[in-house]
Amino acid sequence: MTRQKVKMAFIENESSRKATYKKRKRGILKKANELATLCGVPVGVIIDSPYDLTPEVWPSREDMDNVLSQWQRLPVMDRTKKMLNQESYLKQSISKATETCKKLTKENKELEMKEVMFDCLSGKTSPPRIEKSDLRGCGNVIEQYLRNLNRRIEILSKNDGASSSSVHAAATTSVAMPIVELGSSSTAFCDMIRQQQIQSNMNQNVRGLDLNQQQW
Amino acid sequence: MAKKSKGRQRITMAKMENESNLQVTFSKRRSGLFKKASELNTLCGADIAVVVFSPGGKVYSFGHPNVENVLNRFKNINQPPLNQNNNMRFNEARPNDAIRVMNDFLTQVMNDLELAKKKNEELKKIRKNSKMPVNWWEDPVEELDLAHAKEFKGLLEKLKSYVTDEASKHFQAIFPQPNFYGGSSSGAPFRDGGYINPNLDPSERRMFNVNAYYNQNMYPPNYPLPYGNNNYAGGFVPEYSLNYMHGFNQYRNQNQNLNFKEEGISENECHQDGLPPHL
Repeated sequence: MTRQKVKMAFIENESSRKATYKKRKRGILKKANELATLCGVPVGVIIDSPYDLTPEVWPSREDMDNVLSQWQRLPVMDRTKKMLNQESYLKQSISKATETCKKLTKENKELEMKEVMFDCLSGKTSPPRIEKSDLRGCGNVIEQYLRNLNRRIEILSKNDGASSSSVHAAATTSVAMPIVELGSSSTAFCDMIRQQQIQSNMNQNVRGLDLNQQQW
Repeated sequence: MAKKSKGRQRITMAKMENESNLQVTFSKRRSGLFKKASELNTLCGADIAVVVFSPGGKVYSFGHPNVENVLNRFKNINQPPLNQNNNMRFNEARPNDAIRVMNDFLTQVMNDLELAKKKNEELKKIRKNSKMPVNWWEDPVEELDLAHAKEFKGLLEKLKSYVTDEASKHFQAIFPQPNFYGGSSSGAPFRDGGYINPNLDPSERRMFNVNAYYNQNMYPPNYPLPYGNNNYAGGFVPEYSLNYMHGFNQYRNQNQNLNFKEEGISENECHQDGLPPHL
């Protein structure tokens, strides 16, 4: 909706500044009104600028008086607990934004590493081809996944006694896969998996990655 | 999959009915109002005070230069104005340096945040698009049955060990020279109190207790031990600092059962051609 991002700095051009002031003042009062109405709470705004002779008061001087008396009734500590000025407000905003940004970057890295992991599993890439700087992150993601898997296995194993039929049914279909033969000759990681995918596709096998035939 | 929200809807200008929605709305709109107030001051140099009471009766306020100062101006509004030139009151209109710097910094952080959000969306899109139903292992773990979960686990563990091997090779490349690592608390199985002489015959080096390599200051947490690769003389990674000690110790205790083929593997067997070792 905005055409250009406004730079958050004092507007040097006087007429621009005055125009912006008028628009934004109108906007703030509108927002204050919406907040007060939608949430049914007392709100008071005072704006004092070189462009007005006297400070602008909203909603009205009378209402502002009421807000002020309510304000005065509160103990000083309650008043100041959530009190902010530019400095404290900006500090707060900065730290919140940094926090969110950190979390997101971390999540992004994990998502990336997860892709690498899946790519290895499906044969699109292999460990030697992973970016050196990503190896550690990838290792971590794999570990995390293993932890979840173990938890899942634990849960399922416990329920096995309770004889959940769906689990058994799935287990029997899995048994249809060929049994592994360890000790067979090894070939490159990728090729092996690719081969199996081709094979299983040919066999119309739903299981794309024939894990039991891994010969590494 | 949860239905996405309807998006921006027109809202009736009356007190909201749903209690919890009201709370959320209050929180968001109050925050937005303060932001606007901050911007008004930054851009135009106006002084401002905003006082808001929450549905629960708590009070939030924002003001520049500070709330009390501006509130007082209102209180004195009915008193005859001092004979001041209007402009003089606002000599200090330009934000001071600290505020300017913070605004710049905030802008920067917001930009980074914006980028991170975009990237996040892209990555999720990629995952969505590249997922093949055939690849059951890409389903959420919670949907796997026992047999699949076990298969997957086995495979992942192998993958993990390969990734580890690659990583250990990489470390070797970065740190061909061993550093003197003082303060090794794992005893002194090395000669010269911790210094590993790169000129030692490899077979001699292999006689060192592999566990002794794991100086607490050296290893990152949760990092699987490379098996059989005693060329690890250069494995000191100073950047993995003392902070990791706790995690590392936990890890060590879990993994004593890993098979270190200490004597059995010659150098030739260690991943020099990128192929997995014979099992």
